[in-house]
Amino acid sequence: MKVSCMQENLARGLSVVGRAVATRSTLPVLSNIMLSTEESRLKLSATNLEIGINCWVGAKVEREGATTIPARLLSDFVSSLPPERVEMELIARTQTLNVKCGRFEANIKGIDAQEFPLILIPEEDDPIRIQGDSLRQMVDRVAFAAATDESRPVLTGVLAELDPDEFTFAAADSYRLSVSSMPLAEGPETPVSVIVPARALQELRRIIGDEETVQVLVSPNRNQIFFRLESAELVSQLVEGTFPDYKQIIPKGHNTRIEASTADLLKAVRMAAIFARDAANICHLQVVPNGDDGLGRLIIAATSSEYGDNVSELDVRVTGQSVEVAFNARYLQEALNAIDTAEVALEMRDPSSPGVLRPVGGPEFVHIIMPMQVAR
Amino acid sequence: MVPAVRQIVHVDLDAFYASVEVLLDPSLRGKPVIVGGSPEGRGVVSSASYQARACGVRSAMPVAQALRLCPQAIRVSPSHGVYGKHSRAVMEVLEGYTPVVEQLSIDEAFLDLTGCEALWGPAPEVARQIQERVRDECGLPCSLGVATNKLVAKIACGQGKPQGLVIVPPGQEAAFLAPLAIETLWGVGEAMGRRLRELGVTTIGQLAERSEAELVRLFGEGGGRLHGAAQGLDDSPVHTERERRSISQEHTFGANVADRQTLQRRLLSMADHLAAGLRREGLVAQTVRLKLRYDDFETVTRQVTLDQPTDQADVLYGQALGLLDAHWNRQRLVRLIGLGASGLLREGGYQLELFDHSDQRNARLSHTLDEIRARFGRHAITRASLLRDQFTGPEPSDE
Repeated sequence: MKVSCMQENLARGLSVVGRAVATRSTLPVLSNIMLSTEESRLKLSATNLEIGINCWVGAKVEREGATTIPARLLSDFVSSLPPERVEMELIARTQTLNVKCGRFEANIKGIDAQEFPLILIPEEDDPIRIQGDSLRQMVDRVAFAAATDESRPVLTGVLAELDPDEFTFAAADSYRLSVSSMPLAEGPETPVSVIVPARALQELRRIIGDEETVQVLVSPNRNQIFFRLESAELVSQLVEGTFPDYKQIIPKGHNTRIEASTADLLKAVRMAAIFARDAANICHLQVVPNGDDGLGRLIIAATSSEYGDNVSELDVRVTGQSVEVAFNARYLQEALNAIDTAEVALEMRDPSSPGVLRPVGGPEFVHIIMPMQVAR
Repeated sequence: MVPAVRQIVHVDLDAFYASVEVLLDPSLRGKPVIVGGSPEGRGVVSSASYQARACGVRSAMPVAQALRLCPQAIRVSPSHGVYGKHSRAVMEVLEGYTPVVEQLSIDEAFLDLTGCEALWGPAPEVARQIQERVRDECGLPCSLGVATNKLVAKIACGQGKPQGLVIVPPGQEAAFLAPLAIETLWGVGEAMGRRLRELGVTTIGQLAERSEAELVRLFGEGGGRLHGAAQGLDDSPVHTERERRSISQEHTFGANVADRQTLQRRLLSMADHLAAGLRREGLVAQTVRLKLRYDDFETVTRQVTLDQPTDQADVLYGQALGLLDAHWNRQRLVRLIGLGASGLLREGGYQLELFDHSDQRNARLSHTLDEIRARFGRHAITRASLLRDQFTGPEPSDE
């Protein structure tokens, strides 16, 4: 293999695939990035067997070939190179990659490309197409709510329901749920419902460029999902199992609803979080209606038994009665961060029923947080 | 620098629940009072006033039996939620003397008064003051022991009950312990007591005469500690809450271990102990840490941070297993396994669950188990999977 490309393009490509490299694997080749030539492009591939990413970089191919090179070493070296043409040549006998750029040169020992698992993305005539920025927004609204610990594997994924004209993402850990929907111009003919690892979607979100359309494919045996971008592809294993019936959990009614400035509420919750840090993150919300004028106050408070306390007050629109509920400040913060409308609605029933956040006048998006029960 | 002689005070409220009930209802004063469930149900005695104890009533005895022994006794149902407030008031009195207060349970605490002489006078004098103030300000009787270490102070306190004040001067520790029955010592349970009695050892003094080597041969690792304790030696510090950042437990296997099941059971048993320790102190842990030492003494420590802080054994155990599976090199023999919980927070709230309520059910179950163990002893109830070889690890140690 003998190939050359621009340093910036190579560095970008390496960072796109880099996150799919296995960090702690018993299979040494998975810590490597595969470099292979494909027509007049250099293809970079990495996989940790859960997700795999292919990325193409424009290159001048002098001699076809493939090898795998330790990811960290190659990325660190390439990113330190000047923005000039990088020439790479594989010495097949020793599986050593000679890398030259200006007056810099390195020889990096690799592993035979034969040992690298193939990341195959099937061709499909009629894939589902989703606008890149729609997909990005949906990931931002939902994926953070997925569980990070593996005790219930289905909860580490995002339920993706793709209908002919709409798609819905839902994710939950044991304490909160995020659900959002968007219209879909080119959906599947028959509805598809799969659970995609939240991490895969977050990686996808990272590599989607502006104005891009993403093609989505689910393997016929329903164990893999493929996303095809203009110059990259991502494949992910799907999570097996049944996602909890989230529609059941979304409360049907409430006793109190407030509408507040999203930015102001977020600021107050952030402040409370500082004090709640060593008190299990407990943040107390108290709604005090003024009277019948539909206005009132929201009082946000946190107390640290060791260090002190903090109280903030916001003017809000209130319907319904006064109520006091405690939430985990971190969950409130993360949910408010995902809401991009100027105003947010919070609906509550009582101190032990879920709180419901919705963007006011915005997209179809609902976020449910279970409260904390506070010892009195 | 560690001063040569410490001044440790152990404070123990006398018949605490019963004393609080007397405080709430002064007409009970001077009468035999039993705090416990109803005798028709299968209630047991949580606490009994000394007048009731005089008839032979003891904690953990079925209430029905207690009432047979002491028919004139007045039975009161436990007033849950009230005792904590009174306990807090007492602890506040203690904290007025030194910040170095270690609360052992709702009705017991150690104070380290070393270096406080200039401020409050000699420790025995302070102890007398504390006894008066707890009586006058909190309305509760208590007993105190003063000694140069926790072990002797606690035993001294027990010897003076009720309303006693026993002072063991420096240098007199071994002499003070010598005539006492061996079971008075911490760590001498029923089984060990029986073993020692069979060997003709009935008092701590006789135990002190045995060589350390002999005790180690008889009781393993614990034998060494026993030897020191019998001499009245104990250098464990008084732990304040502020210092408590983690709790952990370790176990060294008699023979190196290669099978997962043995490690798994040991982890389960340690998780049980740690979780009980957390609950006893009203703490929750954010981080779970697994320690493995291989036969060549290479030691691996790995930890994981939880979404929600916990005081539940099942959660600690589940995380520990996850760490074990991820990091244990199965080709190698394990010599020691340890489980630790850190990032400790004072429990202040409970995150409700979205889908099921198993966490809450488990919390209630743990609470019930704690109560059963508090009344009937640690081995009164255990997991079936731990039954066969009765893992009885040491109490959780702190770091």
